[in-house]
Amino acid sequence: MDGQGILSSLLIAFQPVNFLACFIGAVIGTLVGVLPGLGPAAAMALVIPMTLKLGPTAGLIMLAGIYYGSMYGGSTTSILVNVPGEPASVVTTLEGYAMARKGRAGAALAIAAIGSFVAGTFSVIALQFFAPVLARSALAFGPAEYFALTVLGVILLSNLTGKSRAKSLIMIMVGLMLSTVGFDPVGGVERFSFGLESAQGGISFIAVTTGLFGVAEVFSIIAAKEEPLDLLPVRFRELYPSRKEIKRSVAPIARGSVLGFLIGLLPGPAATMAAFASYGMERRLSKHRNEFGQGAIEGVAGPESANNAAAGGAMIPLLSLGLPFTPTTAVLLGGMLLHGITPGPLLLRDRPDVFWGVIGSFYLGNMMLLILNLPLVGFFAKIVRIAPRYLMPVVLVLCVIGAYGDNGNLFDVWVMLGAGIVGYIMRKYNYEPAPLVVGLVLGPVMERSLRQTLIISRGNMSGLWDSPICLALWLIILLTAILPFMIGYLRSKATARPRKSNS
Amino acid sequence: MASRKEIESSLVLLLFGAIFLLYDLKYPLDQRANPGPGVFPLIVGAALVILAAWLLAQDARKPKAQAAKENDEGTKKSLRPFLQSNRGEAKPLLMIAVFIVYLLMVRWVGFFISTFLFVIFSSKLMGAKGWRKPVALSAGINLFCYFLFVAWIKLSFPRGFLF
Repeated sequence: MDGQGILSSLLIAFQPVNFLACFIGAVIGTLVGVLPGLGPAAAMALVIPMTLKLGPTAGLIMLAGIYYGSMYGGSTTSILVNVPGEPASVVTTLEGYAMARKGRAGAALAIAAIGSFVAGTFSVIALQFFAPVLARSALAFGPAEYFALTVLGVILLSNLTGKSRAKSLIMIMVGLMLSTVGFDPVGGVERFSFGLESAQGGISFIAVTTGLFGVAEVFSIIAAKEEPLDLLPVRFRELYPSRKEIKRSVAPIARGSVLGFLIGLLPGPAATMAAFASYGMERRLSKHRNEFGQGAIEGVAGPESANNAAAGGAMIPLLSLGLPFTPTTAVLLGGMLLHGITPGPLLLRDRPDVFWGVIGSFYLGNMMLLILNLPLVGFFAKIVRIAPRYLMPVVLVLCVIGAYGDNGNLFDVWVMLGAGIVGYIMRKYNYEPAPLVVGLVLGPVMERSLRQTLIISRGNMSGLWDSPICLALWLIILLTAILPFMIGYLRSKATARPRKSNS
Repeated sequence: MASRKEIESSLVLLLFGAIFLLYDLKYPLDQRANPGPGVFPLIVGAALVILAAWLLAQDARKPKAQAAKENDEGTKKSLRPFLQSNRGEAKPLLMIAVFIVYLLMVRWVGFFISTFLFVIFSSKLMGAKGWRKPVALSAGINLFCYFLFVAWIKLSFPRGFLF
């Protein structure tokens, strides 16, 4: 928006409570990024009961702090121990760990932190300009538009997640099916509650998220053999990248920031995708292509910037449309709803303090993380070595409290355990948990908008595509649904042809 | 990956979708101008069934040689190698059992005592040696939870007959 927005957002973020909330969030986020067993989505879900005590602005700032703090923490372990703390940092292990083995761990960590900072700040500025514009145009969105948009989200999500499109779609459907438990959003009819009073309000998505991302992960870690981690030492002096390294990182950071932000706007696991896309781009563009795989600093700078920028970009559909397309933003949405805040086009008008406060905290949080992470990098790296046999019981107890604290009943804890068991099995069968969570959160929006559209158009199906926005959205949906099959078909034809000529 | 595993999972999903749809019949669909509570579940349930059936068909259509090879690996196993390859499963299963006992205990004995025991047992289960460290860890996490959640946030946990 304008200078006033930036100023007021910073003023809100600098209030002592919010400042503290941001700090705590950033620290928790870094820890979560570093530690295995608890992803950012589960950690945020756990903290939600705590944030209720803080009030909406400080509470959401804390949640957001965890969100981007985990991006920083994830890169630390990728570089030092070759273990990505969260999926978006998987790419960083390729070059980051190779650099660490060459004795340039410090430089890799510093560049990752600086890149994250630059990209994070870039995405916040872009967010500040984009979100209000989008929010204003989103006011023209009726139920039909919302329905088309959620369908587009579902299709894109299934195209972008995991290895199998059908499996992702199936997981989304399961999420949507689970979302129908409880009172229906239009008529208030009770569905699928099997007479259980606790199920009337629906399945707690906090319980499902902590189960799928927390408990299931703990089960997988228990099943895996324990391997001692090989921790590479970092000295403070090494933290300064050489001038040559800085020079080589400038362009990748800039490219990663823009690319990441744009990918962040799309539904799907934006941060992970952005990191992979940036890595691919840097490898193609780099002058030091032969160094890739052996510790090319571009391969750290680009992806690390891209995943942070994507985290910011993903906030745009959330804040301006109220639609989450990643598990983390889904949890953030859940947190907002619990605070009585409905994100969407009206958020900026009704609760400007929350809107600008959260954005302002992004600036502040990025700065804190930079200051916090560089000197403390050795400390955070040591945390990775905490033995799972002491860490995992603690994670489980925190999950129990998180699931229980949401509504204060034990039913949710049983749901969490169920989700944990199912999530553990899903992993074995190569089903991704993320689409399920997104489906669970999008479900009520989708159902309400579909039914409202039909009521408004008096049962006329054409009401679904009557407006120009809807028509455009459905065309994009059609394209995105067909395109992957077309490409697959053309590719198989292209490979079939030379074979024919050979024979 | 064994295609048998794939077929199993598709079948489970098909079954889940079918039961869901069957149950959904209870809810009215109403007219098109005012769709009832049964409509949306019908759509997503049907989508699930179609997708799962499609996955199943794909796996069933796999080239025979490939499927046979995978099948060989799957069925020739006698009990011992099967148990050996799934030895990692014992611990998570035990963990789940401990978890269930823990949740049942919470209702009768109260949250803190159950949690105290749960942390000790689960860390022992994961291979912690001795008693001092697990007990200290458990006491620590319980105190932490008490001060954070009970004293500060005022969350009320289930209490048992003891505490």
